[in-house]
Order: sequence, then C-alpha cells, then structure tokens
Amino acid sequence: MKYVDEFRNAELARAVSSEINSLVDPDRRYKIMEICGGHTHTIYRHGIKDLLPEGVELVHGPGCPVCVLPMGRVDEGIAIAERPEVIFTCFGDMMRVPGSKGNLQEVKAQGADIRMVYSPLDALRIARENPDREVVFYAIGFETTAPSTALTLQRAKKEGIENFSVFCNHVTIVPPVRALLDSPDLRLDAFVGPGHVSTVIGCRPYEFMPEDYGKPVAVAGFEPLDLLQSILMVMRQLDEGRCEVENQYGRAVPWEGNLRALESLAEVFELRPYFEWRGLGFVSQSALKLSEAYADFDAEVRYSSPGVRVADPKACQCGEVLKGVLKPPECRVFGTACTPESPLGALMVSSEGACAAYYNFGRKSYEKVEIGSRR
Amino acid sequence: MAHRDELLLSDSCTLDHDGCITCSDAGIPVRVVSVEGDDALCEDGAGDRAEIAVELVAPVLVGEVLLTHGGVAIGKVTAQEEVPQ
Repeated sequence: MKYVDEFRNAELARAVSSEINSLVDPDRRYKIMEICGGHTHTIYRHGIKDLLPEGVELVHGPGCPVCVLPMGRVDEGIAIAERPEVIFTCFGDMMRVPGSKGNLQEVKAQGADIRMVYSPLDALRIARENPDREVVFYAIGFETTAPSTALTLQRAKKEGIENFSVFCNHVTIVPPVRALLDSPDLRLDAFVGPGHVSTVIGCRPYEFMPEDYGKPVAVAGFEPLDLLQSILMVMRQLDEGRCEVENQYGRAVPWEGNLRALESLAEVFELRPYFEWRGLGFVSQSALKLSEAYADFDAEVRYSSPGVRVADPKACQCGEVLKGVLKPPECRVFGTACTPESPLGALMVSSEGACAAYYNFGRKSYEKVEIGSRR
Repeated sequence: MAHRDELLLSDSCTLDHDGCITCSDAGIPVRVVSVEGDDALCEDGAGDRAEIAVELVAPVLVGEVLLTHGGVAIGKVTAQEEVPQ
C-alpha cells in the first residue's frame, strides 16, 4: 500500500528535479500555472520553487474560493446574518473575509448569532435543534465542496426541514480557467490541474485546454513529489511536442470523476448565467445556484438578496495577483497594510490564498529580490 | 492511530485543521472505522474521529481510505503501487 511515503522521498524528488532541469531550453521561459490554492500552499510550504530551474516559473491560479469571492457577496451574507431570527452558519475562514463594512467575526461580536461549522450537515443539525429559528448556511467552494452542500440539501428535503436555507456561492473551476486563457494579460505554457476538484469532476472537463488552446495539463496530488512529477509531466509534453491531459493523481482521481456526486450536484444546483469573480469580473456560467426543485431552500430568494456589487479597496491588488499578473510581494500593501492578522484582501485571509502562503512560507526569500519591484 | 503515514496523502490536512475546509480544494483522507447506514465513523491521520456521510461513495468497507470534504466523502483513495516516473 503506497499512499504517501514515496511522495515525500527526497532522493526521488532530486531525480525528478534534475530531469525537469534537463528538459529546459535555456533560451526559453516556461510559465506553468497551478490552478489550485492547495497546490500554492504545498509549493511554498515545501520549497518546491527552489527545486525548479530558473527558467521555470510557477504562476498561481484562481483556485481558492474565498479569495475569488467578491466583496458584495460578503456584504449580502452579513445582511442575512444580522437578521434577529437567523442563526448564520459558515466555515471558519469565512468569518474573517472582509466585506465593505467589516467581517462576520465583527458582526458576531456585535451580537449576531453566527456559528462556525465544520460541515453543512452540522448546520442542518442546528436547524433540527432550533425549530423556532431560521438557520442559514453560507455555502462556498469549488466542486470539491459543492457535493457536501448538495447532500445536505437532499437530506433536508427528505426530512422536510423548513427552517434551513443555503446562501449559495459555489463556483466551478473550468469557466475561470477559460477566462484566463482568453485573457491577453497572461501567456501560460501549461497547467497543473486541481487534485480534489478532479476527484469529483474527473479529468475530461480539462480536455478543452489542450484541444482548443494547445496547453498541456497534468492533474496533480498535494504531496511535494506529486507537484514535481506533474511539472515534469507537462515539461515532457512541451519537450516532445505533445499536448494532452494527464492524470498524475490516479490514486484519488478517477478519469470520469465521482458519477454519484455529479448526479447529486445536477439535482440540487443549476448554473447561474453569470457570476462575479474577484479579479476576473463577470464570468458566464461559472457559479451554481439552487435548482427549481430546491428553490424553497434558497436564502437569496427567502431574504430577497439584492445582488449588490462593491468595488475592492483601492490599495488592494488581489485581482492582479489572482490573474497571475502580479506576484504577492509585488502588491503595494503586501506585508504592510495587509497581513494574515489584519487582512485587507481575501488572498491574505485564506490559508490557501497565494498571499498568505507567501507571507507564511516564502516571504523572506522574496524580500531580497522583489521588494524593490513593488508597484 | 494505525496507518498514520498512509493517511497523510493530502499535505497536513486533518479533521482538526479547518483551514482546508473553507479553501475547498484540499480534501481530508480518513480511514473507515465503522459504518452505520449512510454515515461512517472515520479516523484521520492525527487519530481524530468524525462521523462522515458516505452516500456518494457507497458501499464503504471498514478499513477503506476515503477522501472527505465538509463532512462528506467525495472519493475513495486507492493504493498506488508505483510512483509515476
């Protein structure tokens, strides 16, 4: 049984690193985007960047749902949480994501009944235990998280629980990647695909990347060697002139994904015509809302959320960092006005946010070379 | 807390590390301890236990490794006999 030992083997990592090195054309720079925030975290936590040749640059993608959430959606959640009849539930990091007038933690301190949960099923349990209150769950996340919300709603419907609703902010990974590929700001050579999103959706949804845009993809796991091997896989493709989707993370990602989870998602959700992403603006068919069959559980309908749009603070450059145009230390407020203790932008809040990863694991090595290049 | 290393396939994610939950692309590997209907008692790499909904990956067997997220199992983890070269 091999799950992890081999994926932290230093000798193997050195061998893979050396092979990547041998594939580098010295006259060329390679830009490889890791789509997933979890990968960004692994890259800095384990110093993967230092094992790569100078010509290979990793660009951080939009794969952290907290980080891509626009401020208006935070404000709308807060407006629901402030209602006296509501018990508002959310995951931990959401508590600190800044809205235009504060965050959920501050609203809780002012008396709102806001509870941190580990699972939407915990929120449903709170609804069962408090039949005289309205329990709202703030749902956020990519296809990794959406199944837990879908399953919770299926159980709520089956049990006939009426005092439970979901404020849905689930997003899908493929449309923003397509938007990035269409963006003139960024020229990327290849992609490292998200591991656990792919456990649910499989590898097939990425086939447009090689077919329509000529970009190699390797779906990767989260161990250091997983990352290195996936980088090697796309470097080999570039070297050999191949262009396809490869699955480095076969131990957790079936090619077709989890069909039962996909069925559950199809029953509970439908695509929104468009949704606002921090940094990317409005992206069509990039987010989920509750389907007609589950409209009774939709907090946006129940509380008539107005759909407000709020611009980011002027100093905040999360948008450029999310698109990979700026590195976190190049943001004008990185590590000064914006820190994990007092975040100005969402990228510094989430533990998978590129700025928090740099700040916690990679900051020192960047101070020397990049501090002078802040814009 | 058996097989701890085998469960650490997803960086340092454990049931007690809630940072991964919100961030949403990092599932938590757990081993099934017992199964009751649509739920299973599962143990993570740190030895913590939690009840996990398993409808989306059923049937599950005691001893299997599941990938969970937000209290719901989203996939099964299979042993990989060879590290890709």
